[in-house]
Amino acid sequence: MAAQTPGRGGVYLDYQSAKPVDPRVVEAMAPYFTERFGNPASLHGVGDDATATLDSARAKVAASIGALPEEIVFTSGATESSNLALLGYANRNRRAGDHILISEVDHISIHNIGKMLEKAGFRVGKVPPDQFGRIDPEKVRKRITPETILVSVGWASNEIGTVQPMAEIGEVVAGTGATLHSDAVAAQGQLPIDVSRTGVGMLTLSSNDIYGPQGVGALYIRNGVKVAPVAFGGGQEDGLRSGTENLAGIVGMAAAAEIMSRELPADAARMAALRDRLVREVLAAIPDAHLNGHPTERLPGNAHFRFEGVEGESLLLLMREEGISVATGSACSSKTLEPSHTLISCGLLHEEAHGSLEFTFGRWSKDSDVDSVLAVLPGIVDKLRRMSPLYNKH
Amino acid sequence: MKSTSYSEKTLDHFRNPRNVGTLEGDDVAVGRVGNPVCGDIMEMYLRIKDDRIVDIKFQTFGCGSAVATSSMTTELVLGMTLDEALEVTRKDVAEALDGLPPIKMHCSNLAADALHDAIKNWRAGIRLEPATAEEAGSVPGGCDVPGLNEVEHADDYVGIGVYKQVADTAELEGKRVLVLDKGPATARLALELTKVTPRVVFLTELDTLGLPEDLVGEVKRSDVKVLYKSRLLSVGGQGEVETVRVRDLDEENEYDLFVDAVVLLEV
Repeated sequence: MAAQTPGRGGVYLDYQSAKPVDPRVVEAMAPYFTERFGNPASLHGVGDDATATLDSARAKVAASIGALPEEIVFTSGATESSNLALLGYANRNRRAGDHILISEVDHISIHNIGKMLEKAGFRVGKVPPDQFGRIDPEKVRKRITPETILVSVGWASNEIGTVQPMAEIGEVVAGTGATLHSDAVAAQGQLPIDVSRTGVGMLTLSSNDIYGPQGVGALYIRNGVKVAPVAFGGGQEDGLRSGTENLAGIVGMAAAAEIMSRELPADAARMAALRDRLVREVLAAIPDAHLNGHPTERLPGNAHFRFEGVEGESLLLLMREEGISVATGSACSSKTLEPSHTLISCGLLHEEAHGSLEFTFGRWSKDSDVDSVLAVLPGIVDKLRRMSPLYNKH
Repeated sequence: MKSTSYSEKTLDHFRNPRNVGTLEGDDVAVGRVGNPVCGDIMEMYLRIKDDRIVDIKFQTFGCGSAVATSSMTTELVLGMTLDEALEVTRKDVAEALDGLPPIKMHCSNLAADALHDAIKNWRAGIRLEPATAEEAGSVPGGCDVPGLNEVEHADDYVGIGVYKQVADTAELEGKRVLVLDKGPATARLALELTKVTPRVVFLTELDTLGLPEDLVGEVKRSDVKVLYKSRLLSVGGQGEVETVRVRDLDEENEYDLFVDAVVLLEV
């Protein structure tokens, strides 16, 4: 772990929303803003240096997920990667079929890309999860038809932390003619990801989610999987992602990937210990509190609760007053005023989804963060329950 | 503007809400608005003397602005005559708080409506014991007469998630089960099911549990989740039960609830 702790003070338990860039990553990036600023397309020495840097970064990112360097396309981030994966793949393979499967618990960006695909004439089905947010591979199997060209299931839920049985889902998809895509953003840096073992044909990756800079990401495309570009220009990234490469950003993502591969086991173990303590003590200290998501098959850094009779935004605001940054799936804090589609698809009622609070740990989380939460959360829930017309169990 | 970009005044009322609580007595008017589906529920309790609000309390389930508008409303109208209080609008409440984020103007600014509801109930001669209003999900002001409705597609899913009888509750172990209210036998089954699964939803068209008193208490203390004032419209899913379509009789909107099994006892 880096000696210096990023952040402005206070207790930050919303690593899922944004992560600080690891200071070692910043250090690796610095020369590429000023001294080594070249364009890999240039034919002079400065350009050659940039080309070599790009190749090396590609190899590092590929190695971190068990891929080959030529299977990595750098993008501007996970959203662009998923657009390229779903739209680019669907357009390129339209003649093979018009049916695409996504999961109900996927990130909102996948759902919105699905809506675009429907507008473009594809049929998009959604696989529902069980009450823990887990996708049963059998439900995927039942939905695959001869027209199914693509199945997309997020590796883990960014909200409730449930980890999907990707290897089993890969087995179901294998041999059907469809390709499996996975948005692995939430799982990166928390679980070992090896594409050679899971049957995944495309994988969405983000830089910031492994403590690299924002504004850069990658898409893994297995050799042989055909994708059409969705943006056009100078033909960079093998024609799949035009636009001069964000060299400093890519260097940052590669440095972050190297650190992640090395430190993942220790990082994950530390986060899991913090999470387990938080879950245990919150459920013990607060009556009518529930853990959302899967009890065991969950990201080491994710603890997602709901508290009967209280609403998430109010919880979040009172936590903020105490200097603690967390997230909620409550409708009242969203742009659309819709509650979290993930919680709803787990079978929760709207009022239950409103009462959720999400804690996500990261590389700089520490025991005292859990102490801070435990010191104030029971009182906050109690205060809100005292004014709630929905809480009268006791 | 972010949905949580609140004014200092709003935050002050959120942090230190005024007049939280309930009132009791035959000089108390009660109003209630909102629905868990849209996010916020507010209750207003007014003690009325000589047509004037002499004391006021509220209870609110909702976001920052829901709490702040409730608190501000109680401050604004305390001491007013009922006619004066009826003139107080949502807009007045928002202005008194130095404005609300635009997205919160409707959904979380229902306190004035709860106030008006209380006054209308009072004038209509409706006297509510707070204990009644406290019952989760109960909404004063009438309810539909429950009718045995046809649940669309239910017959297509018998044997693959729809149960017309439950011989052994173990069949439903670990499943998300929805039990349709058809009287005490179904409520007892719902209670029984909590022993084998953490997720039992009891759906009723009524606004309170129309069951014998001891059974009501038992259900309320249990892990059975009661869905009041709701109608089961249809069953759906690919090859097995995966969702049900529910109509919220209060808000007149419909939504999908994700379940694994639906119990439609023939009683």
